[in-house]
Amino acid sequence: MLSYIIRRLIIIIPMALLVVTVTWILIRMAPGSFYSSEKKLPPAVEANIKKKYGLDKPVLQQYGILMGNIVRGDFGDSLKYEGQSVNEIIRRHFPYSATIGILAYLLALAVGLTAGIVAALKQNSAFDYGSMSLAMLGLSVPNFVLGPILVLIFSLWLFWLPPARWGGASSLILPVITLSAIYAAYIARLTRAGMLEVMRSDYIRTARAKGLSEWKVLLKHAVRGGLIPVVSFTGPALAALLAGAVVVEKVFAIPGLGNIFIQSIFNRDEPLTLGIVAFLSILIMVFNLLVDVSYAFLDPRIRYE
Amino acid sequence: MARISLNQTFLGTMFIVVSLFLSGCASSASSRYWGKTVAPTDNVLRYISGSEPESLDPAFGTGQPEARVYMALYEGLVEYHPKTMEPIPAIAERWELSPDGTEYIFHLRKNAKFTNGDPITAKDFVYTFRRALSPELASRNANLGYYIKYSEAYNSGNMFVKDANGQFLLAKDFVKETEKKASDTPEAEPEMKPESAPANFGAATEFQSFMNAPERLVVKGSEKERAKQLEADPKLKAAVEGKELVPVTAENLGVEAVDDYTLRLKLYQPAPYFIQLIPHQLFRVVHQPSIERFGKDWQRAGNIVTSGAFMMSVHRPYDELVVVRNPHYWDAGSVRLDAIEFYPLEEQTTMMNLYKGGSVDAIYNHTTPPAWLDEIRKFKSEYQDHPEVANEYYSISVKKPPMDNLKVRQAFSLAIDRFALAQFRKTPKPLSNFTPDGIFPKYDEARKKVYGERLKAENMTVEEWSKGRLFDAEKARRLMTEAGYPVVKAGNGWSCPTFPVDKVTLSYNTAESNKAVAEFNQAQWKQNLGITIPLKNMEWKTFLPFRSGVQYEGVARNAWVGDYMDPFTFLNLFYSPTNDGATGFHDPKYDALLDAANKELDEQKRLEMLAAAEFQVLQEQLVIPLVTQATNWIKKPYVKGMYPNPGTLHAWKFVYLETDPNKWDTNADNLMKESDASVDEQINRLTATMAARK
Repeated sequence: MLSYIIRRLIIIIPMALLVVTVTWILIRMAPGSFYSSEKKLPPAVEANIKKKYGLDKPVLQQYGILMGNIVRGDFGDSLKYEGQSVNEIIRRHFPYSATIGILAYLLALAVGLTAGIVAALKQNSAFDYGSMSLAMLGLSVPNFVLGPILVLIFSLWLFWLPPARWGGASSLILPVITLSAIYAAYIARLTRAGMLEVMRSDYIRTARAKGLSEWKVLLKHAVRGGLIPVVSFTGPALAALLAGAVVVEKVFAIPGLGNIFIQSIFNRDEPLTLGIVAFLSILIMVFNLLVDVSYAFLDPRIRYE
Repeated sequence: MARISLNQTFLGTMFIVVSLFLSGCASSASSRYWGKTVAPTDNVLRYISGSEPESLDPAFGTGQPEARVYMALYEGLVEYHPKTMEPIPAIAERWELSPDGTEYIFHLRKNAKFTNGDPITAKDFVYTFRRALSPELASRNANLGYYIKYSEAYNSGNMFVKDANGQFLLAKDFVKETEKKASDTPEAEPEMKPESAPANFGAATEFQSFMNAPERLVVKGSEKERAKQLEADPKLKAAVEGKELVPVTAENLGVEAVDDYTLRLKLYQPAPYFIQLIPHQLFRVVHQPSIERFGKDWQRAGNIVTSGAFMMSVHRPYDELVVVRNPHYWDAGSVRLDAIEFYPLEEQTTMMNLYKGGSVDAIYNHTTPPAWLDEIRKFKSEYQDHPEVANEYYSISVKKPPMDNLKVRQAFSLAIDRFALAQFRKTPKPLSNFTPDGIFPKYDEARKKVYGERLKAENMTVEEWSKGRLFDAEKARRLMTEAGYPVVKAGNGWSCPTFPVDKVTLSYNTAESNKAVAEFNQAQWKQNLGITIPLKNMEWKTFLPFRSGVQYEGVARNAWVGDYMDPFTFLNLFYSPTNDGATGFHDPKYDALLDAANKELDEQKRLEMLAAAEFQVLQEQLVIPLVTQATNWIKKPYVKGMYPNPGTLHAWKFVYLETDPNKWDTNADNLMKESDASVDEQINRLTATMAARK
């Protein structure tokens, strides 16, 4: 088990470097540059800029310098935001995305698991149909629709909550609800399906036959097995949530990483894009590893050598 | 200032759809103001300023969102008038221009201080100018200072050439034949000779005589480029070979501290609009000791020292930038706000929500989304609808067929009904000229006169001619037929079967509004000419080199926001070295006409020469003018001293919050005409120093 984890951890670094390299090639293939704008620059000004940022060197040499710095954990300075290092920008904005991401996922888990389990236990009841219809709605209403509707009701009609911007717990409520809706819906459906399957399986019948109470059967045996699809979903979902939810960040003016990532691509801010790509790829690989490891605890049939 | 419009994509569409639906349910037109509007309790302005500033270094950040923040943090020699944007005294209490128009002398006030209490002297400005133009800083705005003597040479890292006797070679001995010819056109007269400038303007100094000496020859700094330059010019090569090359340094730049409170600027040639450029962020004074001490960290809170009416308090990127009153500011007594909170936001729906919820007081320009417009503009006290120093047009690739045919170009322009377009877009006004109408009153007069003279031969008045340019489908079809592409009746519409549709595309950068306009014009051409032009949208940074390299076929969307308050900022787009109009047009005569206009010291004559240049642009139909932009922004009625000026740049020290609802704005349309005694008094006090010693 331990050696498996170590092997997986070791591969993360070369994988991240590969991802960075591919991204770098894609950025270099895209037309335009960080300094291009409506106004065409005089050649002298352009030459000064290229010299300042080392863009006058041969491309392979630029790549070498870049990789040398990245291996040492230095992604350099943003080209758009003068004097700010990429590491500093990620450090500064990741907490915003992580806060709403984690809160949204916790909320989604609480709502989704409860709804899914109850719906599975009371299959074909009014609750089952009701909650699953709601989940269907949650999946189909995109957050750029849900967000403004919540703002309209709670900020502009009732004046209960701020319409946007970061600041205090009250400003988190609407973005967290908006962001969690789709995840809650998905988790509810996954949980219900997983639970229905498990509840009909042989080992549950065995557990019941042993005379365990229905509660014990449910909590000790059924939920563990029924949750495996949810856990598989959690890895990529949580990584995506932590990486920043662009739409929610825009609607609620939250200074998170997602929006900065997108803007960095539009701005052709190469170091910033590469830094965030590396950060996110590591994040995703770590979460996938955590998910794989947790299978071993949830399903006794899974063993890693 | 570059125009930024890349945040609306698919997302933008969806927001509009949703907000359309929501604005339907949220109508609250019954109340007097839009959204929550209560008298302010603290003296803090909350302003949405556009995208996150690239930098807090005024020599570095290029856009308008940055300019708005710099106007609070930094002050220059002069400031923009809050209504007209004409220069008014700031750190310079008055200035003079030499009779030959190449030398400015600024008299600085003696009580100006940085935020740490250090005095601001002429030496600080010398440092600021030299730094802004240094090749090491690599400012993207550096070329705005290229009128200053030797600045281009310094910024480009060029070299002077010195012969064995220690004499520098002079530029006038190496004027290329082609350039001579261009300036030989009659319009290029009168020839100005910088060396004939009176040596005694202001205090005579050694530096002044250096500046007034004939311009030295410069050659490229990098060996590779110099070799190329010399190869192309044998005479130059022969003269330069074996001579000593001396780098152009910061000390050679045409800016001098005559004494602590007198600053001299020397230009290459007369540039009558140069004073309009001085309030630009590039020339706002920065603090040398803190920049040198903290290196690249000098802009951080705690380190940063600035020169404006406000100083930095808190900076949380992508969230807020808070500036507070600067106690050391020389005019601190007349600064009316305690603080300004700048919110860097770009999502229009979010802005409207914040404004309506009462969380912000004012928003920057072009921000009211079309879907909200009909509701918001009912609130006359808040909606700011004034012409802007900006236009929107389609560039034409004039060298590629079929667009190399003037008649085809004219037909495409005439086939667009601009009244309908303006109505469709809701805020802009139809544009028949290239330089926006109603922004430069004296230029409008000059245009009328010059156009009138040229049109006499055609027996047409300027009004008829202008109106005829806005839409004339019949004439468009006739021109098309004359050009060899007959337009024939087909059912209820028209058809032009011989036109090579595959050679013409309408390209634009991806944005909801650009797409809507493109589709509108596509429909106009279909309806009036029977030609269906394909559309092509591209991501902004991909589009830029595509357009500026004139790689497009047919027409490409373009727009321009004036850098300064002079028509030259628009006409310069067709000047060969600039070619920002991106049409492929190149005409030495046009260039010579602009050069000559800028050498003309009589303002009226100069404007008439510029008008003649614009007439050429219009006659040759290099572009399809579409509309003049409107400022299109909102502010709460209690925000006073903040005007819908043509650049939406506000001198913050005039802005204040009115707590008495009886004195709140009632109709923003009158804001520019109405006088506000307290603001006028402030401005009069400032401009008095100008008049007193004239």
